[in-house]
Amino acid sequence: MTQDERAPQGAVARIDSQLRELPREIEPGRDLWPGIAARIDERAAPAPASEPRRSAWFWQAAAAVALVAASSLLTATLLDRDRPAGQAVVTAAPSNPVATSQDAVGMPAAFGPAGTLDPEYLAARKQLTQMLDQRIATLPPSARAKLEFNLGEMRRAADEINAALAAQPGDPLLEELLLKTYQDELAVLSNVSQLTGSLENAAASPAEKRMQL
Amino acid sequence: MKTVIAAAPCCQPVARAIALLAATLPLAAFAGTPINKLTAADPTGTVEISNTAGTVTVTGWDRNEVEVTGELGKGTERLDFTTADKITRIKVVLPNRSYNVEDTDLIVKVPATSLVSVNTVSADIGVQGVRGTQRLQSVSGEMRTESSGEDIECRTVSGDVNIAGSGRKGLVSITTVSGDATATRLAGEVNGSTVSGNLTLGVGETSRSRLRSTSGDLTLQGSLAADARLDIESISGDVRLDLVGKTGADFDVASFSGDIRNCFGPRPVRTDEYAPGKEWRHQEGDGSARVRIKTLSGDVSVCRK
Repeated sequence: MTQDERAPQGAVARIDSQLRELPREIEPGRDLWPGIAARIDERAAPAPASEPRRSAWFWQAAAAVALVAASSLLTATLLDRDRPAGQAVVTAAPSNPVATSQDAVGMPAAFGPAGTLDPEYLAARKQLTQMLDQRIATLPPSARAKLEFNLGEMRRAADEINAALAAQPGDPLLEELLLKTYQDELAVLSNVSQLTGSLENAAASPAEKRMQL
Repeated sequence: MKTVIAAAPCCQPVARAIALLAATLPLAAFAGTPINKLTAADPTGTVEISNTAGTVTVTGWDRNEVEVTGELGKGTERLDFTTADKITRIKVVLPNRSYNVEDTDLIVKVPATSLVSVNTVSADIGVQGVRGTQRLQSVSGEMRTESSGEDIECRTVSGDVNIAGSGRKGLVSITTVSGDATATRLAGEVNGSTVSGNLTLGVGETSRSRLRSTSGDLTLQGSLAADARLDIESISGDVRLDLVGKTGADFDVASFSGDIRNCFGPRPVRTDEYAPGKEWRHQEGDGSARVRIKTLSGDVSVCRK
């Protein structure tokens, strides 16, 4: 065994010796339990809406939803670019008295018992819903019924998650699923608006060479 | 007393003619107008087709021409057939945007490498032999197409979607509200989204896939590429993942109140002593692929096929 090999072994022996001399128990300098109990109580109580961590999460969620809404609106607006001047993209509530997707706006969306949704998100959602209301009247009745049922299905899903969040405040899985449900609802509203809108606009270009039957 | 009315001999031919006309008139009145159009087209151009009710059948061929045949339904105003800047547009025009018309059947032949875009209300869409990008949209019509590796986008409200893949990698996006979607032999990236429809997708090998549902069931069968990312979310719909072949993946599965079943060994664990949530985290093989599944109440099954 060389000198270099023996040196580390001596160091290890010294450390072992020092470890053995350490006390088996150490009394804390102060009573830590009251602080721990207070923190447990904080976790058990529903978190206030202004809690910094949650607040930051809400801003991120709202930003994500607003981004989806904004991009959806941008796409829908671009699709409607060729619409005649006077014909607004967003119109008043439809004259059709049957239940429409307007009901989605009538039902206040929530984000768990301790939070509310971003006003920009709500405004985008309302705009998309009104746009859809204008176009949904042109759909075949069976397709319209299915669409309305499925929009209701998404709202029921959001209600179900909100109810679960009331029982499990701050559950990350529930919050994630709820956010996705709201995003999906916007996506459906946007998709159907685009789909019906593109049917009106598709292949319509009067300046082009036209061959009619 | 019985009265017999008989046509006078002189009038019998006229009566026969009237009877014949009366018999054929309804057929003539309800018969559609034949369509037969042909135009030159760029092999890498775009063909946009729009129809309301009936069918749209698109076939790729090896000629640099677009041909439209079929029958224009009663009540439609006309068929627009235009070409400009590598774009051929075919549109069934309705009077006053009315949807109350009889079926129009369009049979369209396009250069096989064309980009094909089809929009319908209730008309079914069928595409075969097209090797370019496809964008298919319908409110309630059914879609049936083939994937050759180029991008395919299918969007529908209540129509069903059926895609026959070729095993070549590409991007396939399926969006339905209540329509079901079935696909076989896809490869590459698959994105599926539905509210209440069921998505059943067969994937040879996927590198990126994302499936989302509210209440519809999601089923994916296939193998994962080495660095694959698979993301599946559902509220109340069940999720079934059948993995084929050797799997090297890191699994992150959670459900708030649904069951989690897997065939890889470890059992799911409760996420909280006082809540119904369950999660299952597991690394299989080298763990290079990532699989993430989240549901509210939908059951999850992850197994080997």
